[in-house]
Amino acid sequence: MSDTTLDRFSRVKALQRPPNGTPPRATSSMAAKAFDIRESAVGVPRGFSPNIPEGAERLAELLGAAALRNEFGEHLALRKWFSDVADRVKTDCSPLGHGLADESVDASALGLLMPDAPREVADPRQWLFLDTETTGIMGGSGTYAFMVGIAWWDAGGLEVEQFFMRDHSEEHALLLTLAERMAERHVLVTFNGKSFDWPLLETRYRMTRTLRPPAPRAHLDFLHPARNLWRLRIGSVRLQELERHVLGWNRGADVASEFIPEIYFDFLRGGSPEPLVPIFLHNQMDLRGLAALSSRIVALLSETERAGRDGFELFGLSRICERRGEAKRARKHFEQALAADELPPGTDRVARRSLARMAKREGDFSRARDLWEGMLGSSQEGLEAYEQLAIYYERHIREPQRAASISRDALSELQRARRLGTIARGACQKLRERFEHRLARLERKAGRLPLESILVESSAPARESDRTGKERTSRARIG
Amino acid sequence: MTASGSWHSLALHPAGETVRTINPRATIDTVQEALSALAGRYRGDEVLTAVRHFPAREAKFVAMPDWVRPELAAAYRSKGIEQLFSHQGAAAELARSGKNFVVVTPTASGKTLCYNLPVLNAILEDADTRALYLFPTKALAQDQLAELQDLATRLDDCFGVFTYDGDTPSDARKAVRERGHVILTNPDMLHTGILPHHTKWTRVFENLKYVVLDELHTYRGVFGSHLANVLRRLARIAEFYGSRPQFICCSATIANPGELAKQLIEREVEAVAENGAPAAEKLFVFYNPPMVNRNLGIRRSYLNETTRVAKELLARKLQTIVFANSRLHTEVLLTYLQQANRPQPGQEEPVRGYRGGYLPGERREIERGLREGRVRGVVATNALELGIDIGSLDAAVMAGYAGSIAATWQRAGRAGRRSDASCAVLVASSAPLDQFIVQHPDYFFGRSPEHAYVQPDNLEILINHLKCAAFELPLSPDERIGAVDLAQLCERLAEAGYLHRSGGNWHWLQQAYPADTVSLRSVTSDNFVIIDVTGKSDVSGENDGEPEVIGEVDFSSALTTVHPKAIYIHQGQQYHVERLDFEQRKAYVKRVNVDYFTDAVRYTQVRVLEIAEEESIAGPAARAHGDVLVRSQVVGFKKIKFFTNENVGAGKLELPENEMHTTAFWITLERELLAGLPFALSDRQSGIFGLLYALESMATLLLMCDRRDLGTAVGERPAGPGIETEWQEFTTAMSDMSQMKEFFEPSLYLYDAYPGGIGFSEPLFRVHDLLLRRTRELIAACPCEQGCPSCVGPVGEKSERAKEAALKILERLRA
Repeated sequence: MSDTTLDRFSRVKALQRPPNGTPPRATSSMAAKAFDIRESAVGVPRGFSPNIPEGAERLAELLGAAALRNEFGEHLALRKWFSDVADRVKTDCSPLGHGLADESVDASALGLLMPDAPREVADPRQWLFLDTETTGIMGGSGTYAFMVGIAWWDAGGLEVEQFFMRDHSEEHALLLTLAERMAERHVLVTFNGKSFDWPLLETRYRMTRTLRPPAPRAHLDFLHPARNLWRLRIGSVRLQELERHVLGWNRGADVASEFIPEIYFDFLRGGSPEPLVPIFLHNQMDLRGLAALSSRIVALLSETERAGRDGFELFGLSRICERRGEAKRARKHFEQALAADELPPGTDRVARRSLARMAKREGDFSRARDLWEGMLGSSQEGLEAYEQLAIYYERHIREPQRAASISRDALSELQRARRLGTIARGACQKLRERFEHRLARLERKAGRLPLESILVESSAPARESDRTGKERTSRARIG
Repeated sequence: MTASGSWHSLALHPAGETVRTINPRATIDTVQEALSALAGRYRGDEVLTAVRHFPAREAKFVAMPDWVRPELAAAYRSKGIEQLFSHQGAAAELARSGKNFVVVTPTASGKTLCYNLPVLNAILEDADTRALYLFPTKALAQDQLAELQDLATRLDDCFGVFTYDGDTPSDARKAVRERGHVILTNPDMLHTGILPHHTKWTRVFENLKYVVLDELHTYRGVFGSHLANVLRRLARIAEFYGSRPQFICCSATIANPGELAKQLIEREVEAVAENGAPAAEKLFVFYNPPMVNRNLGIRRSYLNETTRVAKELLARKLQTIVFANSRLHTEVLLTYLQQANRPQPGQEEPVRGYRGGYLPGERREIERGLREGRVRGVVATNALELGIDIGSLDAAVMAGYAGSIAATWQRAGRAGRRSDASCAVLVASSAPLDQFIVQHPDYFFGRSPEHAYVQPDNLEILINHLKCAAFELPLSPDERIGAVDLAQLCERLAEAGYLHRSGGNWHWLQQAYPADTVSLRSVTSDNFVIIDVTGKSDVSGENDGEPEVIGEVDFSSALTTVHPKAIYIHQGQQYHVERLDFEQRKAYVKRVNVDYFTDAVRYTQVRVLEIAEEESIAGPAARAHGDVLVRSQVVGFKKIKFFTNENVGAGKLELPENEMHTTAFWITLERELLAGLPFALSDRQSGIFGLLYALESMATLLLMCDRRDLGTAVGERPAGPGIETEWQEFTTAMSDMSQMKEFFEPSLYLYDAYPGGIGFSEPLFRVHDLLLRRTRELIAACPCEQGCPSCVGPVGEKSERAKEAALKILERLRA
């Protein structure tokens, strides 16, 4: 390369370090923004290969970790057994004990977690908890899992093992060890691992071109159940938040996730190993939190109620049941959730609406009517209740006057909602048309001779469904 | 349906094809009649500068190769294709023999068959085969999807074809990766969506046999240089999975398709140039609006003249498409034409608009109307230039030159795509290129002089892709990427904290995802956003209401287009720039309606860093190219009145200086040359600037680039390369000639307006003679008296003898 090319090169803007919140420079001049190099980390160019950072040895000492060797090379490994998942964690809850360590998973809970689960899932001894620490959260083939932590129930406690690559060149060896461990326990258990950790690891395996990604027999991910159970109450469903609010744990000083990649990069560039220690602890805590939380979730989902459930949890549980098609259980838990009387108004309405729909489906119209009458208002559910009540009085009770008066109430409710701006113009318009249409029909009907009204009635489909296309067709035919 | 299918089906007259009522000859006669009506009012030869008649051409057929699988041959037969055009046959054989090749074909010559036939045949032979098709736009991919799905249906859906782009829903993406034999995508998606996630595409990459690059000629300049690097990354990934795909390229007619393809894919490429497709009779007309002021070189508005031409054609029942170069002009022309062609009571509007920004449903409706003949006229931007099937129209009228010969032919090809006679009319604006083209028809109708260039080793671009490459797969010291010293670049990237060397390879060492910050359409990702604060009391736009971001401009053009008090034009709406926040890269604008636009006054200085080549030429003078440092500063602006181009005001600006390292081509006029000119100093200086203005016009023509891709500057010849002398004295747009310092040995610089250079300088050095000759032709043929915007630039800014002096200098240079 000629001197000029190098000179030009040295000015190339693209080489600037990406801005870390620093304001952009005032000029695009290449000369003015020559290299923005981290002076400290550069030093003398290191040897060719493989170059384990100097601090790696001290890291092993600090942690009491050892190098693990296999046919692809070495990586660092650290094992630790916890007699209790909450061991030495400040907690204001009574200890959960060993969670699922010794018994098989309740069938009713399993059915909600994973319908048609393979046999192994019911055996907690087959569960392998997994959590990774990565060089980024965007995914893609350039994001590495530099630390993989796994854990399993063992000897009445939780065994945690962590693998760490001291350099990129150790990835292969690390992935091989992980594959061996995964072959011993067939059920992968993660928190948000379905969309993040596991696809990322699969990518890492593919990148080796020699190791096949392990194929666990089942993959249980607790993010979604956790979201159903606690998002309403806690807001966030980050693992740390759940630990705090559900388990009553307090992690104390913990490294913030967003700093983890940079800490690792600094270590690779020759920085000191000390800042890595909190990452190991963080990863251990994530695994222990996951283990404890999974036990808690299983308990909550069990038909035989072992742990107390609050209204939110009952509501979440009924939603899970609803989604899994367990209508009876769902209805039971919805009723319990309402009885607990601690849901905020919006959630309460959602629960009532779901219950009303179920009651209607089951033909329990009196319960449905009570629920509808209790939720009338300008909310989405309240307006639906008006509509359902109108249908109810028109079709089942055959009181067109009553149905008409409910429709009129709904129209004024709509107008109020529009004035308050609590309903979008389009949605309001649609609803208004529906109610006006219904009202017109009811008024026509009220004015007709009974015989005629019976004739018209019989030519229309017997029953209106909830806001479906059928309803529109039937109305069109009548109109 | 694409060109290939329709051509053949017409050639064989299958049942069901509508027989058109106008016979071919009648179209030509009608057009002739319309033209004489138009020209009758002026001196005909001056207005109609060229009327070229292209007789119909017979197809040259070859038999369907015997290696084509019977079911595929049957599928094509069912579409009416029994035999191949000769170029399709040549392409098929090249594909069969495993060669990389480029097919150069005009519009509607059945080019898609050139790649579909061999690719589908390979899939039928081995169902594992995968192919990746790249189109420059999503619309083109959609169009090909329809054709391929039609073939898939005829082949019992034995292969999968999908588009994969920003519109592909995320839940469908997995299916595309797993079931697609042919994936239709675009370079941007390949760059940000596919390559960084190649592990999800394992199956495709392991079996990748073909990469198809359609519309190859669009991959030039910045975009092409990026694409070349994306293809380098693609080749790395393919190699990682053990495949080495074959490249099949299609290009519109340009002078160097083979060279371009070779630069883009970095492999040997064969070219198929002979075209065996039939062509219908065509009339191509150049229409130059008449002069209204010979002194100032002012012509009648080309938009009004376009309207007149289109009206005459529509009045004679010819279905017509009108092309405009901007959305604004589309709307203006549409208004004029709709006023002149009111719908019959109860009928739909016979003339419609078509451009980006219309909703898809509306577009499909217009396309259908055109095919069915209900829509008689359409006014479009280049959104309708490529691909989209609108059937065969009778006439195409272009308001202004499309910027390149290739694009002009593509627009002209929208009329008469099939077998009927058609006509195309180019209405010239007063821009130099338009005027050159209509006054030199041979330049246009002769062998294409347009070259497409790329500079894949532009460091600014290459380093960005190097980062992406390292993210995708660690870089090995044994790899070769372009002509750069990879190890050294990686070392520097490692020092800057991007890469980390381990086990001999360089690994990505950032959290960020590099492809996200690299746009293939510009050199740097640095840009300014434009925020509309109309109706906001606070100019910062932060205190009341939501200010709206209406657009962005890249860094290099920000200072000239959105400086304070500038009039910024966006989608035809004028905005006044209230404030430019340089640090935050934001420009706050308010909607206004004024009768002027602004033109920034920029001082530009060029310092030569390294001369790559230099040569003495007649004059005496010298030509050279090499590395330069360009320093520019916007120091003020002028307000220029629309239509009359009067200077109606000016302002001073204090903006930061901008420095850019790039490449340049330059001509140095020696003292002897200037001293021998019989002109006063100011005339001489004006002549130099006028000459540079004209050189720039011709350079953009030869390079198929935009005027903003090149920068110009005049400076005193440097004492020597790299010597720390004073900065060279400057400027191209000095309004006050008296302040100008005298040049003794001026250098006229044409530099690449992108950091690092984009590959224009060396080609300009090579075509120097042609450049000078064409420049002389441009100026000499211009009928103005003292120079005008069509040749040496507006006369108001220069001495009255600028044109004369420029010609004299060219004469000395033996142009």
